[in-house]
Amino acid sequence: MTFRGPDPDLSPSHHHQHHLLDWLDDSMPFLSTFLDDTYTGEAANEITSYEWWTQEENQANMNNNASLDATPIFNTFASSNNSQLLPQAELSKKRKQSTSQTTPNKTAAPQIWQRIAGETGNEGDRLLEEEGEVNKKMVVTGRKAQGKGNAGSSNGGSKEARWAEQLLNPCAAAIEAANVSRVQHLFCVLQELQSFTGDANHRLAAHGLRTLANHFPFAGIGMPAAPATFATTEPKLFRSAIIKFHEVSPWFAFPNAVANASILQTLSFDPSPRTRSLHVVDIGVSHGIQWPTLLDALARRPCGAPPLVRLTVAVSAVPPGPFSAAPPGYDFRSHLLRYAKSIDLNLQIDRVDDISPGSLALTGGEILVICAQFRAGHGSPNDRTAFLRSVRELNPDLVVLSDIEGSSSGEVGFPAGFARRAELMWRFLDSTSAAFKGRDCAERRLVEGEAARILETPAEAEAEARERWRERMDAVGFREEPLGEEVIDSGRSLLRKYDSNWEMRASPAEAVVALGWKGQPVSFCSLWKPHRRS
Amino acid sequence: MMQVAMEEARAPSGCSSTTTTIDDHIMYAWTDWEPVVADDWGPFSAALTDDFHDLIDSMIHADHIFDDSPAGDLFSLTQTPSYDSSPRSMTIGDSVPVEADVNAACYGGGGDKGLRLVHLLVAAAEALAGPHKSPELARVILVRLKELVAQAAGGGTSIERLAAHFTDALQGLLDTGAHAHLGGRSSVRDGHRSADALTAFQLLQDMSPYIKFGHFTANQAILEETLGDRRVHIVDYDIAEGVQWASLMQALVSRPGGQPPPHLRITTVSRGGSRAMQETGRRLAAFAASLGQPFSFSQCRLDADERFRPASVKVVKGETVVMNCVLHPTMSAIRRGSAASVTSFLSGAAVLGAKVVTLVEEPEEEEEEERGFVGRFMGELHRYSAVWDSLEAGFPMQERARGLVEKVILGPRIAGAVGRAYQEAKEGEREGGWGEWMAAMGFGRVRISCFNHSQAKLLLGLFNDGYKVEEDGCNKLVLAWKTRRLLSASVWKPLPPATPPCPTSPIVPVGILALEGSDFFQD
Repeated sequence: MTFRGPDPDLSPSHHHQHHLLDWLDDSMPFLSTFLDDTYTGEAANEITSYEWWTQEENQANMNNNASLDATPIFNTFASSNNSQLLPQAELSKKRKQSTSQTTPNKTAAPQIWQRIAGETGNEGDRLLEEEGEVNKKMVVTGRKAQGKGNAGSSNGGSKEARWAEQLLNPCAAAIEAANVSRVQHLFCVLQELQSFTGDANHRLAAHGLRTLANHFPFAGIGMPAAPATFATTEPKLFRSAIIKFHEVSPWFAFPNAVANASILQTLSFDPSPRTRSLHVVDIGVSHGIQWPTLLDALARRPCGAPPLVRLTVAVSAVPPGPFSAAPPGYDFRSHLLRYAKSIDLNLQIDRVDDISPGSLALTGGEILVICAQFRAGHGSPNDRTAFLRSVRELNPDLVVLSDIEGSSSGEVGFPAGFARRAELMWRFLDSTSAAFKGRDCAERRLVEGEAARILETPAEAEAEARERWRERMDAVGFREEPLGEEVIDSGRSLLRKYDSNWEMRASPAEAVVALGWKGQPVSFCSLWKPHRRS
Repeated sequence: MMQVAMEEARAPSGCSSTTTTIDDHIMYAWTDWEPVVADDWGPFSAALTDDFHDLIDSMIHADHIFDDSPAGDLFSLTQTPSYDSSPRSMTIGDSVPVEADVNAACYGGGGDKGLRLVHLLVAAAEALAGPHKSPELARVILVRLKELVAQAAGGGTSIERLAAHFTDALQGLLDTGAHAHLGGRSSVRDGHRSADALTAFQLLQDMSPYIKFGHFTANQAILEETLGDRRVHIVDYDIAEGVQWASLMQALVSRPGGQPPPHLRITTVSRGGSRAMQETGRRLAAFAASLGQPFSFSQCRLDADERFRPASVKVVKGETVVMNCVLHPTMSAIRRGSAASVTSFLSGAAVLGAKVVTLVEEPEEEEEEERGFVGRFMGELHRYSAVWDSLEAGFPMQERARGLVEKVILGPRIAGAVGRAYQEAKEGEREGGWGEWMAAMGFGRVRISCFNHSQAKLLLGLFNDGYKVEEDGCNKLVLAWKTRRLLSASVWKPLPPATPPCPTSPIVPVGILALEGSDFFQD
């Protein structure tokens, strides 16, 4: 067959006479071979369900007495009696115990934590003591103690098995080189192998092909139909997807839990004689799902719930990014308010467009927490600094900063940047596949379709290493706030519920807790407070 | 005695142990078989005029692909004009919108399956042995290829069958590595050999000059060089079915001048005395007897390391020794050490005092630069797509006949060729064919006679227009399909002649071609 061009002048820059053999010359930077790691869809063991959300509507009319009974929803929260600090929804039901905390002082928290740490084994304590060790390596959480997860999970995600990137990365390089025949060849191969419903590699091929085809429309190929994203889906599916995803994957659940535990810790260390109001500014991607556990823990504080809990959702304070959008018609405020009422918590929810002091209606005497999770890094470096400066101007009591962990240094240019994004996408797809035990469902496709926006991240908005964030925070006048052992333990205990390939690096000295998948970094969560002038 | 031998020779064609599913009645002569192929005729079995050769060319000259994009609408899928002529197999590419089901789309919509297959094959080869090996990627691509050619087993389109053979060849490399792959399947081929091989060979002979070109050119050179000799002893490397010698016998007994035919002795050089080899001998003996051709047959085994020892061939004083070497990349021929084996055979020519050495081989691609496996693989894809094209152009309706030829003859050659490409790329073996090697080793070139050349042209004239014969130096003829070289036949002398070669060739009025219609297969 021959292809005769109807319009050779259409795109002169792509008219190189590329010989087929030229393809071979464009070799991607290759990856050393690791131990074989066959992907398996097996995920962790059972995880506490998020029944509270879906059943909440049915429960809305229940009175408080009823809600305190052992209905499925509140059964889950009943377990929170054992600690005022933990985001309890994630805790295992097995830990349910009757002893309620009765000592309303600051030392109560560590005592509780030690008890829980004792329950979960000594490994954590030992590792925490060896800080030097902890700083250097990932602390593998939960695997040995519980013996769950993949049998072959030690082989950290061999690159050999990641075949999709072995097509996508050379394709990105060929696009950069405007090697049309090579691009077309790889597009064609990718088209044969891509699938939004196959295993993680097939899915990465599908999402990656879509992204690359957008970058290179001259190849004259069709591209996979756009998968649904948060902005384009139905609210009902959206809600069930984010709930399900939090349930089965710690991608967001873990940083959320760490953030909540940190907020509670800040409250418990508050020196003022009476409990102050709490004002949390939510600049995140949890779409409300993060907060019920915090509210529940606040309501059950032995020293009493704050007189007022303000939650201010600042969706558009920073540029949009993956997971930031929600479908039209989705509103979690009513759910959350109803829930707060059911647990006798005085909750106020506001939406603001920016985080100026005026918009936030700051009042003196409230504890102000800025919770910036997976949002601060979406703009350019200048945007990031400007955002952090505006946060600093609020003079918050605590800033929780979570984001995707980027590489500290890296090649510039489209192929290298694409390769980094594809690798992050691989971690998402691989871990999500494990989370769903390899099964396909609409919820999984939705979160993956949204995650694929990672691939379209502009180069300037690429994830940065947390060292870079530290410099930036330091520059605008923040100092690192160490994470308490309690916070780290809460993260560790949460992570046990998920696939054993998840790892956390907890280092109190570094004031950061990092989450990793198969030995590769995924995200970090760090705490900051304004420098006090001395 | 003669009858017995002939009966034995016929026995294997009785299909008792055939490994194919082809009906019994097609095991016989072309004339018997013709009605069967007629069944394939139908309103929709129009000729597949697509040309795989062009298809692959279109990949190489990718600007063609690109240029095919509809003007001003880069986002829509391209039309594929050339596949429009194949109503049977291809759903023709309506322009599919960008966001359409991508599974049906690659360049030209669902219709352009051939191009998709070729892309996948090349990608699999690259993943298997390219600069960045990725067995996992190769495995995934081969899985997809098998899905796409699944129907080939039940008689898919030509290109599906071609792709299926190449897929199997790559899978073999992936599964076991080249060496185990090459050593592993000779028994399958031997199974074919006894039953289907003769039928397939006959079909291929009738469909294409592919077989006869080499045989006729070599035989004509042998006839010319042994003119007047009373005893001719042919030492043949890998005799296969012995078809070549039937036609030589016919020529010998028909020599002009009424002189009695010379005594013909054939010594086959092979890896071991297989049953198939004995059958070949019996069949040849029976055929010789039917012609009145004095004939004897013997076997010579290669050493354990596949090397040829000239001392193991008994040469009778006064006989003219001819060495014949037809190299096809079958599994058994391309096993490890085959290059050394061929080297030892050709080097033995001087020791045996051979008067002439005839060589038939598949020409190497003409590439200046060092080619890796992918380049060599592409070359083989080219070559066999040209073979496929040539068969299809000549016999568009005879899918079943072509299927048998492909399965029995060409499939094993593809596997062997891919295995050879892998091995040579891996070991950095020689580029260039055996002819170049012989020239470098001091073999003299023996001029191809005008008659021989004319005969080759006549032979090609019996077939489709696409075939061409090219001269390459004074001693080599090359069979080509359109621009793709399929086969070369060259004639050599073991020692450089004292005087410049290429003397005036003796005219042999009765050429091989005149004896078309050999009843070797039918008797």
